[in-house]
Amino acid sequence: MKALMSVAALMGAAGILLLAAMTVGIVPSNTVRLIEGYMPVQVIAELTLFVAGFTGLSYMMSAMGMAFPRFWQGILFWAFLLIYLKFRIYPPIPFSVRAMYGTISLVAIFMWVSANEEDWKKFKQPIMNVLDAKTGGTKALRIGYLVIIPLLIGGFSYNAMVPKSEEPIELRTVHPAPPASTKVHGKTYTLQTSQNPYRVNPEGKYDQEYSNANIVEQGMGRLMKPNANPWDKDAQGYLKYVREGGEIFYQNCHFCHGDNLNGRGLHAFAFNPIPANFTDPGTIAQLQETFIFWRVSKGGIGLPNEGFPWASVMPPWEQHLTVDEIWKVVLFEYWHTGYYPRTWD
Amino acid sequence: MKKEGEAKVEKGRDVYYKTEGIVVGAPAPKTVDGPRDYPRYNFESRVLLWFANQQHLYYGSFVLAVPIFCMVIEFMGVVTKDKAMAKRYDQLAYDFIKISLTAYSLTAILGGILIFTFLTLYPAFFGYLSGIFRPVMHIYALMFVAESGTLYIYYYGWDKMRDGFLKWIHLSMSVILNVIGTLLMFLANSWIGFMMSPAGVDEQGRYLGNIWHVIHTALWNPLNVHRILGNMAFGGGVVAAYAAYKFLASKTDEDRAHYDWMGYIAMALGVAFLIPLPFAGYWLMREVYAYRQQMGITLMGGLLAWLFIIQATMIGILFLSTNYYLWQALGRMRGAEKYQRYIKYLVFVLCCGYLVFITPHTIVMTPAELKAMGGQQHPVLGNYGVMSAKNGGINVIITTTILSFVWYMRGNKVSTVSWSKFGNIFMGVFFACAYVNIIWLAIYGYYIPANVRVGLSVPQVATTLSCLFFMFPLNAAMMKGAKQMGAIEWGKISVRSQYALIMLATAFTWMMGLMGYIRSSVRLFWHVNEIMRDNSPWAYTHTVGFAANMISFNVLFFWVSILFVFWLGSLGMKKAPVEAKAGVPGGAPQPAGGH
Repeated sequence: MKALMSVAALMGAAGILLLAAMTVGIVPSNTVRLIEGYMPVQVIAELTLFVAGFTGLSYMMSAMGMAFPRFWQGILFWAFLLIYLKFRIYPPIPFSVRAMYGTISLVAIFMWVSANEEDWKKFKQPIMNVLDAKTGGTKALRIGYLVIIPLLIGGFSYNAMVPKSEEPIELRTVHPAPPASTKVHGKTYTLQTSQNPYRVNPEGKYDQEYSNANIVEQGMGRLMKPNANPWDKDAQGYLKYVREGGEIFYQNCHFCHGDNLNGRGLHAFAFNPIPANFTDPGTIAQLQETFIFWRVSKGGIGLPNEGFPWASVMPPWEQHLTVDEIWKVVLFEYWHTGYYPRTWD
Repeated sequence: MKKEGEAKVEKGRDVYYKTEGIVVGAPAPKTVDGPRDYPRYNFESRVLLWFANQQHLYYGSFVLAVPIFCMVIEFMGVVTKDKAMAKRYDQLAYDFIKISLTAYSLTAILGGILIFTFLTLYPAFFGYLSGIFRPVMHIYALMFVAESGTLYIYYYGWDKMRDGFLKWIHLSMSVILNVIGTLLMFLANSWIGFMMSPAGVDEQGRYLGNIWHVIHTALWNPLNVHRILGNMAFGGGVVAAYAAYKFLASKTDEDRAHYDWMGYIAMALGVAFLIPLPFAGYWLMREVYAYRQQMGITLMGGLLAWLFIIQATMIGILFLSTNYYLWQALGRMRGAEKYQRYIKYLVFVLCCGYLVFITPHTIVMTPAELKAMGGQQHPVLGNYGVMSAKNGGINVIITTTILSFVWYMRGNKVSTVSWSKFGNIFMGVFFACAYVNIIWLAIYGYYIPANVRVGLSVPQVATTLSCLFFMFPLNAAMMKGAKQMGAIEWGKISVRSQYALIMLATAFTWMMGLMGYIRSSVRLFWHVNEIMRDNSPWAYTHTVGFAANMISFNVLFFWVSILFVFWLGSLGMKKAPVEAKAGVPGGAPQPAGGH
């Protein structure tokens, strides 16, 4: 047990030092990189390692007779989490989410330090000491708090109430509910039931399983599957349509959506928000193919009322492309990202 | 040549079942904003209706849930061999029904207020709805009479039917009472089911003569299941809060012991129904998506998505409060210290599950933050914000809650069965595998088609429920004849635990208000979805802030009024015999679910 805790303590100490050095810039901030595609799991794994490390450190310090007070353990761990969320994760997390995470971590820390009477007593002892103010130091602290706390509350209140010229916070509806049907080039498409006419098997029948088997591999690299190269001159059927969709994409869409479909095209950063990142699992992977068809056809101007604040400059592509071309582009987007369109069966 | 009578028969096509039927009703009225269809006070009618409806629902849920508790607790009293314990259970059940009785009158009064509000402010809509449901309106009223009659006999006959065969008759009456109550709720649910997913009418809203189609709409069954579970969890929360309040106000150890025990029983019953509740909610949402994709997207990804984040936050609070209470409850057991040192790891696991569960897909941010983030999708948060991760998050939370329960149930005991070592290892491995499976499936969900991903929730839920259904009995078997390290010292629990119970109840109440609002507002500008349009000036969706304030007001009003009900109940409270109230040395009460 002791050996295990020693390893954890070493890990914790090394982790804290490394994080601190990366935060202040002594060590390059990309020394331990968060790898795109693995970041969500990596973040939780890192936090788990830190918790193990802190537990080991606490254990070792207690074993050496230098027990770290529970009060400071709680406060410092919370501070650590806030710093981690603010500086470790890139791109920066918006304040609203950090506030949610920070509040929950604070509640979690309270639950930890008050889980049993002994711990709770240890934790609140310094607070009680200041409230009781039996020594000169605690007396001074109490007076200090008496002055500082109202000032802080007043400051926060003032800051909250003072008129600001900042842009207001926006609650953008990323995927507004689509209409039941949409009319493109004079034909009405029911979004619940329409299908991409180019998602077909060699027999020419609609076959999502077949097309799913021929999309690129997900994960790093997004490699094409053997014998599923749309740019092979002999490619027929589904793969041929993917190629045609790709040609249309690179003639029309990639300037904004990027040649990797990650929303970082040549003109992307002229817009705020930048165009949709199709490689993110929260975009086309969550949606029916007909939803994309509708969005591409109608563009930003065709967003419904609930698409507030309508922050999209995508043109209504029905004015520039035929229905077939739109379906082929959609086909290509799913093929290239390695995602499957959502279905409900 | 057709006869005159035949020529008048007009057929219509059911909007949902697609069957043909003879039109026997008038079309849904096309309302116009004015005193005829929308008479009003100088106030937003929708808000008045919201208030009346919500209060009626709170009380309705409470009075439907409490008799189920009474049935369970009375049954436990009847089958318990320990006489003193039997008396305590019986007294507890009686205390519950007494509270329920006062609340029952208030429910009926609030129901009346609700109907008057409908008639006064939405006469056209109410006229249409009551026309559609005419065949069952009086059945509903008669069932209410039956419910009242059974309840009064059940309550006033308590002492008369105290012993022997009569006690079983009395217990059977609680079953009848609950059957009637549940059917009443199903009927009421059919109205909201019809408003969301109408059936049994044609496109113009004309009734086609089949009342079963009108009742049995696409969302009726999932709504029924969700509401039964929700009512039970809510009822447990309210009773637990009542016990917590009485505990905190108690002046003697004896009273503290009694209310500590009462709070524990109510919490355990409530949580027993809370655990399957997210799965029932998941089924409901799945059916909503299957019924109308737009409705599903409006709820989960569009206009109302942020309300779902608030809902996730409330669900998290419920589970956190439950776990915290259980950890505090370990403190009243001698010998449970060995588990307390590991609580920090449970906190961490719970916290990770919770953070993933509440991560929004639609993030609130300033345009500057949006720019700094480099697009709407964050590479970390974007992954936590979708269903695959959230399923993992909630299942981790529930599995951890089950683990906390297992720890609590073995807190002061040491297994003496010959296979205890093997049993402990098996349980440890089982839980570890469950966590690995849930997390692995949550990650795997990103690499498969969405329709398969939705199906992944089945093995995840199965994993969680396996922990519940296999580990609880296994633990009970291991703890049979176990060595007691010390008694459960009822009343020796921290006051923090009682605040956790109050938090639990408040979160339940708030969440009920929130979910009711979400369910109702997903119809957007329809009184009856796609059949009868809301043409009042209030056919828009409230802002999140307004809705939150309104829900908070409803919660506050409910709690103030229920405190009054509790006070009324306490005026005539039958004093429990002293020996029945006192803690039983060495004989800890057994919670439902087999402690």
